[in-house]
Amino acid sequence: MNPKCRRLWFSLFLPLAVLSLHNEVFDEQLNIRSLPDGKVASRFSFTTVLVGASPPTPQNHSSQDDPRHYSLFPLALGQILHEYAVTEMHLTLNAGKWNYDHWGYPDEDGVGTGAELWAWMGDGAVSTVDERWRGLRNALAGLFCASLGSLDELRTTSPTMMFAPGALSNRTSTHSLRHASLPSEHVCTENLTPFLKLLPCKSLSGIATLLNPHRLFDADWHGMGLHVSWLPQQGVQVKLTFQTISDPLRPQSSSRDWSFASVFERTIQRSCPVATSSQIVVALPFGVPYTINPQPSLVDQGHAIFDVVQSGPLDVSLHWPSGFQYSTTRLAETTFSVRRTLKGYTQDNGQLSVLLRNDEDSPVNIAYLETMPWIIQLYLHTLTLEVDGVSRNDLLQNITYIPPVPHSRATLFQIVLQIPSRSTLKLTMDITKAFLRYTEHPPDAQRGWDLPPAVFVRLDGRPQRRIYAPALLVDLATPDFSMPYNVIIFTCSLIAFIFGSVFNYLTRRFIVLPVPS
Amino acid sequence: MDRIRTRLRAIFRPEGDQSLLRLQRRRKLVSALTQRVDLIKWSFFLVGYLWMLALPSQQLGRGIYIDENALQPGQVNTYWNWGDVAAADRYLEQLEGLRDANASSHLRASTLAAEFMKLGIPASTQNYRFSSSVGTVEGTNAYAIISSPRTSGTEAMVISASWVSRIDEANGALNLRGVSTVLALAGFLKKYSLWAKDIVFVVSDGHMDGMQAWLNAYHGRTQSNLEADELELTSGVIWTALNIDYPGHSFSHLGIFHEGINGRLPNQDLLNSLTWIARWTVPVIIYDHLETPRLQIPSWMPNSLRDEIRTYDYRSRNVLRHVKHQARGRGSGVHGLFHQFRIDAFTMFALPATGPHGFHALGHIIESTLRTTNNLLERLHASIFFYILTASEHFLKIGSYLPSAIMISVAMMFSGLKVWSDSAWVMSSDEKGSTWIQRRRPVLPVLVIMFSTHILGCSVFALTKTSWFINNLKTSSAIILALCGTLPLSALFVPKQNPHTVAPMSQLLKALNLCFASTVISITTVVNFSLAATLAILLGIPLTVSLSSSLLPLRLGQYGAYLSLALGWLSAQEEIRSALWDWQILGVWFAPFVCIVYTPLVLQAAIACLLPV
Repeated sequence: MNPKCRRLWFSLFLPLAVLSLHNEVFDEQLNIRSLPDGKVASRFSFTTVLVGASPPTPQNHSSQDDPRHYSLFPLALGQILHEYAVTEMHLTLNAGKWNYDHWGYPDEDGVGTGAELWAWMGDGAVSTVDERWRGLRNALAGLFCASLGSLDELRTTSPTMMFAPGALSNRTSTHSLRHASLPSEHVCTENLTPFLKLLPCKSLSGIATLLNPHRLFDADWHGMGLHVSWLPQQGVQVKLTFQTISDPLRPQSSSRDWSFASVFERTIQRSCPVATSSQIVVALPFGVPYTINPQPSLVDQGHAIFDVVQSGPLDVSLHWPSGFQYSTTRLAETTFSVRRTLKGYTQDNGQLSVLLRNDEDSPVNIAYLETMPWIIQLYLHTLTLEVDGVSRNDLLQNITYIPPVPHSRATLFQIVLQIPSRSTLKLTMDITKAFLRYTEHPPDAQRGWDLPPAVFVRLDGRPQRRIYAPALLVDLATPDFSMPYNVIIFTCSLIAFIFGSVFNYLTRRFIVLPVPS
Repeated sequence: MDRIRTRLRAIFRPEGDQSLLRLQRRRKLVSALTQRVDLIKWSFFLVGYLWMLALPSQQLGRGIYIDENALQPGQVNTYWNWGDVAAADRYLEQLEGLRDANASSHLRASTLAAEFMKLGIPASTQNYRFSSSVGTVEGTNAYAIISSPRTSGTEAMVISASWVSRIDEANGALNLRGVSTVLALAGFLKKYSLWAKDIVFVVSDGHMDGMQAWLNAYHGRTQSNLEADELELTSGVIWTALNIDYPGHSFSHLGIFHEGINGRLPNQDLLNSLTWIARWTVPVIIYDHLETPRLQIPSWMPNSLRDEIRTYDYRSRNVLRHVKHQARGRGSGVHGLFHQFRIDAFTMFALPATGPHGFHALGHIIESTLRTTNNLLERLHASIFFYILTASEHFLKIGSYLPSAIMISVAMMFSGLKVWSDSAWVMSSDEKGSTWIQRRRPVLPVLVIMFSTHILGCSVFALTKTSWFINNLKTSSAIILALCGTLPLSALFVPKQNPHTVAPMSQLLKALNLCFASTVISITTVVNFSLAATLAILLGIPLTVSLSSSLLPLRLGQYGAYLSLALGWLSAQEEIRSALWDWQILGVWFAPFVCIVYTPLVLQAAIACLLPV
């Protein structure tokens, strides 16, 4: 199609499109910031708002049986939300370990390793919340080609304190939360393709052009998110996000310069015609010389803002003439940091050790959540809190514990802690590792069991940010499945031997025989 | 056909009462065996010892192979090049500066940590201090962790180098090139996004102690005599570890050191991968044994035999070295400490020579080996944890070495049982002729004697643990010798009992002692074959041949011989010192095993000689 022809098409159909679009708004934004360790964090966010719509609830579920006509709002997602009457839903698929010390807080909170899904759903429908939760998981698994079906009852919990609904605060009594995470889920191209399909312009134009799988999946960290929430003033909002941390220093460790062409190996050729706004926001370096190209249309509070709709082809680049050297002191971009490890090396027990560091001059209150699958059982009586080797059990303020049910229910362990100013709090707790039935072992290579990341929330800060500790791997006692025949042969021989001798003695008749010598 | 069948039946199922026939058959068989038990016993001994001698032979064992398909060794292009070699050279200069300035442990470790941080890799140091009766050891480890891109950081592999090299510890050879290889590798490996596991670099202080402190802290294991900082950086579960030991200027061969402490071995696939990867670049040997002919083989020998002798000579050195490391449980290097945490590890030892290899070859091989271990989807688990490497490309499977020690242990069991059953009968001769009469075998006093020897062993061990023992090694050894030498002499005063009603205690003690020693050996074979084989050699024949006699000088002479066998180790003072250090710092079981199991076993035999017939 030559450009002239294309313009003709646009002039014909654009008014029509705008007419039918009056209640759907699509905005896109790309935030880029350079990090102190030389890496580059980028966050893509694509927001579609269904203006004036109310969230699907069990009550309006049957009445709204009319076909849904969406122009920008992703239909496949709309159907799922409607079918399972989901009021609010958040799905994140991440690969890598977010390094808070080096990269600070992420633009989007949900950075836990692997897949995480949580949803608020209204009560009172014909089908129960749990049935709809199962349906939602499976539908999303199909939509995103991810193993979300494994987020089953063994992993589902309901930690309402950590995962508060956006605009539902007065409705929490009629709604319930379901949360599950799957740290072993790997994110790759097969998840990105369905993600792009949900965008109105796919990856053909606008900011989404930069979503080049070859570069995104080579990044140090990458993650995608789908957030559906209800904003009372606006309507139902669907926000698709993609975050990456790329390392311009990886090939050569002297220059931290980056450009779209170097980070994404693509540039923006044209804007997405249906986007109401399409912005690129670059955080400008502070106190060091730099050059940014091309000139931004607006500079506001240390951020350069580019309007993709206005500008033509765009390749933003940032250049530091002074070069780059790694810092030889430890970076601490956040004033609160967490280190969680699983100590011990035996297959039956161990110790969970969490170090919480507060660099602020005032004590902070932290809520700490563990949602462990039942294979790890916590011994609460061994919970100890120490600051500089001194026991400080008084720092524990609140504790919520739902014990696991073997083979069926996950543990929920949630405590509220106070961390004194400028100190490190050490929390330890003994754990026991379960012995699995042999059918419960997965058929794959036995690398161990991934434990979901722990979640921390600062209670006194606004906004309340969720902080994810890295996932853990636990070794359970595992039979050597690589040689089942040896095992079968040994066991069968033993059983035959025991059975044979017992049977022999039970059925034998004992008599006295005179033996001639 | 029928005729054959009836004839066969006549042989195998003769006419008559079947039960009776079976009883007779069994009785015949048992008597045939008991009559020849001495023959059986000695032939087991003979076969067992010959088998041990045959272990280095070319005819036993087979060539190595890779069992774990995921490893795929040597399937990648390597990118380590001269630029990285230059980086290693620069680090080496810096380290030589530190060495010449006689820098303290702490300064060294913080310099190393700073170098890691300059590469953009989070690094930290760890101070530790071991206190033991042999002396205190302190130092500082430096370590750094590359969090691999896109991974959850739940798995890790370790590259380590100790500051002091393996060869000749007392010599104080520093592993400077090993440490610079680690630093250069850190900068190099960071450039690739293909790592599926975190990479942990550890430069441990000292030889063994630094790594022990680091591993303890990493796994949260407490050791009562260790004060160590907690690690500020951690990663996930460690699966494999490579330890680099490169003390010389250049190297000609890469030596594999693999024995862990307490007789553990790493999965053989890991060693085989290295051999496989390095095969076209650097010759791989085991230990630092070069295949150089030592023997003058007469020229009249046929070529094939000459070759056999030469290989036998080479492999016997390897097997002996293996037994030396494994039996003492000391491990052959820093890698040995990893095995206690289920981490497969070995040391690559760059054999010092004037050439031709250096950083370039070493870097290539390590890179490729890391790529191989990076491929692992699960821990190395296939059951090749039991092996003896006779050469780098040849090994003995468990089935080709284990029976040797087992046969000796079986022979000991047979002789013990023979003594036991013989002691129940005594020939009684009166005017009507001689008949066999049965007599009692009181076990309890014998068990008391055995138990008290072990108690004695425990107290000897408790004594050796004190710092007084180490500081006055000569005096204290003499005291132990005197104690263990005089206490059993009280057996001379045990009253003699009527041999027609009660079996003599000396026989019973010998029987139980042999059975117990045999059990100890056969159990130890699976845990630590080398220790079991050593025990089989030290105990096998000596415990069997003791004679009970009524002549006091003969009894005392035998007693003296056994006593020197039991406590001969007291003369090896350096060995005692290092065994005690190993026990207190690293938890090596050799010292307590010798005191509590070996010495009492021989003392029991000594007492059996003293007891009246």
